[in-house]
Amino acid sequence: MQSPAGLQTALNPASPSFGNGTRANRLKATKQGGRLVNDYWSDLFEAKESGKKVIWYNGTHIPPFFQAHDLAWVHGEAWSAYLAAKHGEIPAQRASEERGYDRELCSYARTHLGQALLSIKAAQEGKLGLNADDPRALTMAKLPLPDMIVNAYPYCSSGQQWDDIVYRMFGKKIPIFTVTIPMLWGGRKDANYLAGSEWDERSQYVAKQLRALGDFLAEHTGRKYEWDRLGEVMSYIKRASELRLEGMALCAAKPAPATFFDWIASIAHLNFMPGTQDIVDYFQLVKDEIEERVRTGEAAVPNEKYRLFFDGMMNWNKVGWLADKFASVGASVVAGRYTHMSFWQEPQLIDLRDPVVGMAQNYLVCPTNHAAPLMIGEINKACDKYGIDGMVMHTARTCRAMTNYQFLIADSAKHRARPSLFFEGDVADESFYKDELLNVRLEALIETLDAQKRLVA
Amino acid sequence: MQEIWAALEDAAEWPLAYARRYKQETGKRVIGILPMHFPLELAHAAGALPTVLQEDREPITVGQSQVYTFYCGYNRSLTDQLMRGEFAFLDAVLFGDHCVQLLGTADVIRSEMPEVPILFNQLIASLSAPWALEESQGTFRQLWKELEELVGHPVSAEAAQRSIRLYNRNRQLIRHLFDLRRQGRAALSGRQMQVLVKSSMVMDVEVHTAMLEQLIAGLPAAGRSDRVRIYVSGHYCQAPKPELLDMVEACGAEIVDDDLYHGFRFVSTDMEENIDPVDSLANWYLARNRRVPCAAVADEGADWDAFLIDAVAKSQASGLLILQVKYCEPHMYFYPEIKEAFERAGIPHLLIETDHEEMPIEALKTRVETFLEIAKRRIAA
Repeated sequence: MQSPAGLQTALNPASPSFGNGTRANRLKATKQGGRLVNDYWSDLFEAKESGKKVIWYNGTHIPPFFQAHDLAWVHGEAWSAYLAAKHGEIPAQRASEERGYDRELCSYARTHLGQALLSIKAAQEGKLGLNADDPRALTMAKLPLPDMIVNAYPYCSSGQQWDDIVYRMFGKKIPIFTVTIPMLWGGRKDANYLAGSEWDERSQYVAKQLRALGDFLAEHTGRKYEWDRLGEVMSYIKRASELRLEGMALCAAKPAPATFFDWIASIAHLNFMPGTQDIVDYFQLVKDEIEERVRTGEAAVPNEKYRLFFDGMMNWNKVGWLADKFASVGASVVAGRYTHMSFWQEPQLIDLRDPVVGMAQNYLVCPTNHAAPLMIGEINKACDKYGIDGMVMHTARTCRAMTNYQFLIADSAKHRARPSLFFEGDVADESFYKDELLNVRLEALIETLDAQKRLVA
Repeated sequence: MQEIWAALEDAAEWPLAYARRYKQETGKRVIGILPMHFPLELAHAAGALPTVLQEDREPITVGQSQVYTFYCGYNRSLTDQLMRGEFAFLDAVLFGDHCVQLLGTADVIRSEMPEVPILFNQLIASLSAPWALEESQGTFRQLWKELEELVGHPVSAEAAQRSIRLYNRNRQLIRHLFDLRRQGRAALSGRQMQVLVKSSMVMDVEVHTAMLEQLIAGLPAAGRSDRVRIYVSGHYCQAPKPELLDMVEACGAEIVDDDLYHGFRFVSTDMEENIDPVDSLANWYLARNRRVPCAAVADEGADWDAFLIDAVAKSQASGLLILQVKYCEPHMYFYPEIKEAFERAGIPHLLIETDHEEMPIEALKTRVETFLEIAKRRIAA
């Protein structure tokens, strides 16, 4: 009879039984990145003990405003992704379901709201209500409660409602601040990527709110907001972003030295981690390793045959699994909308002497916040740059923000001789993922790409 | 009276056919409006017929090529109508509400009908923000400018004020009918109330108002029935299927009030008439949520659950029927609060998840009957 641990391994093997068994050749630097992420969470768990006020926030990469004011912060999505990546999301999701949150609701939100429910219960009753030996409970019990809530969600309406519910869950007693990041519809005649009257007006509108965010933080900490510190924090983030983009650009090489999944492993560092020398060093390490791989011809996917683009939100339950699955058919997923079109994507816009407008603009260029014509244009440019053969469309069941207009993206790709596969999954709810469906569709995509190559030959 | 009802029912059932006829007969533009809080007044002032685009009854077929099945029935139906070419006669589409699914649908409309202007002027959804009023004013100012470009001539403040007066009058008449129904003085079914509101969304406002006036004048007096009075809540964008409302009433309920978009929500708030129309529009947008809270916006001063408890009491209803559109995230977020509030208050409530398809009415009947039985026992106790 198998032990529970053995059964778990049998049910959840580390790599898929699929393809030729080749596994992804991950960047070694990402291990260092993982350590930084763990350090971040460990520090956060100690935040209250070190006298820091804690902000729960959702949406864009807004923490530099918190860091410059010596606050600690929890990104709700990141927390949900963290739990999902560690297969620890179920207790939180069960708690939210027990309160009546529908399973079709954003699974990031469901997980985070479940965590909030359990945290509130723990604060009121001294216990989470889970088995004390459950490692998932041990992790969840460490998350500090919020002193403030900040919402700054581009595009996704669900994101704003999510924090509204968090605010209500805590009895409307915790101050909340919402930064509205309006969608760039691109309907005016002068509309273009990073240009036009809508872009200019929206940049100023978001910047105005960000300045008010500083006032909000000052009001609720009783300390003057140090705007000079913001420039200092942003100097690290700007440099880290530049190094990341330089590293990404090197992946246009064939074979690609790193994949979308390596960049997924490097999202946290620019999305919500503190702007310090650590992240600069990390992205320098990543870039150095990529440069070395380019020099030696070392591939992220051994025997790379196909180059793919990943569209849609990440499936956090399946990061390593998917990396290996694509590698096992010789497919290098070189770039993606989620990784390559966000997270301080336009660092040149940031003036370190007065970074607010440039930060606002980087928040506006979220990979969902542009309407389809501009976004698809940018995706096509990225596909050309990275020599993409085909598209992987992740249909994240509860993420309407990143499934919107995916059919238009696929249609545009088709006109550029890039076939697409669609596969079902979700951001943090593993039950929506159907492995065998992806297997069949991936095989079909590979057949199609082979046929295309035969035709060209 | 029968003729009036027939005309209103026809417009409500076939809104696009009405709009096509209107365009043919008058030569005027027809502008599609997307829910949930977008005003019709400015499009009317610009000389067009504003028509709120409706979910239709056709099964989703060709639309599947551009929208996932896990989007709400309204968005899937809009996409299907689009792909069937039903919107081809529209001169523009206006919208501004922040619903992620609606944004995606609008992008698909723009892609399929590139020659038709799709004007998006995003209404601020954070209504407690200090800049909410200023931002709303700016939004309507921009919309005004874009509408003038669309129609090729200026739209005067006087024209806007006239449209505001016309729509106010229309809303007031419908609200009067809601009052009569609430008081038990008018025997208007859920289906009939839906026809009244839905037709007001799609018909020429002056024609509609004239019909309402005749209808009210000839409305027979009614006494209060002994059926179980219930309040219906939900459906921010599309009308609940009339058959569902019929079934609920056939089970012994009397729908006495609602907060439906195709109900009281749509007519809840008037615009100020004698001020700058931009201010009227902005004030109206912000005030509307305090009259009937909407889960699609964040407003620290509004509580949907508390509003519903109060509304049920005011309408002397014995229970709350919640109609939650499948895949409607705003409603999914708020449902647990409403459920808990009604449980605390001891008021019977029933959640029914509705969808474009796969909603066999008979399968819901037992649940409704049980709900009404519980409500009856509470009344008796």
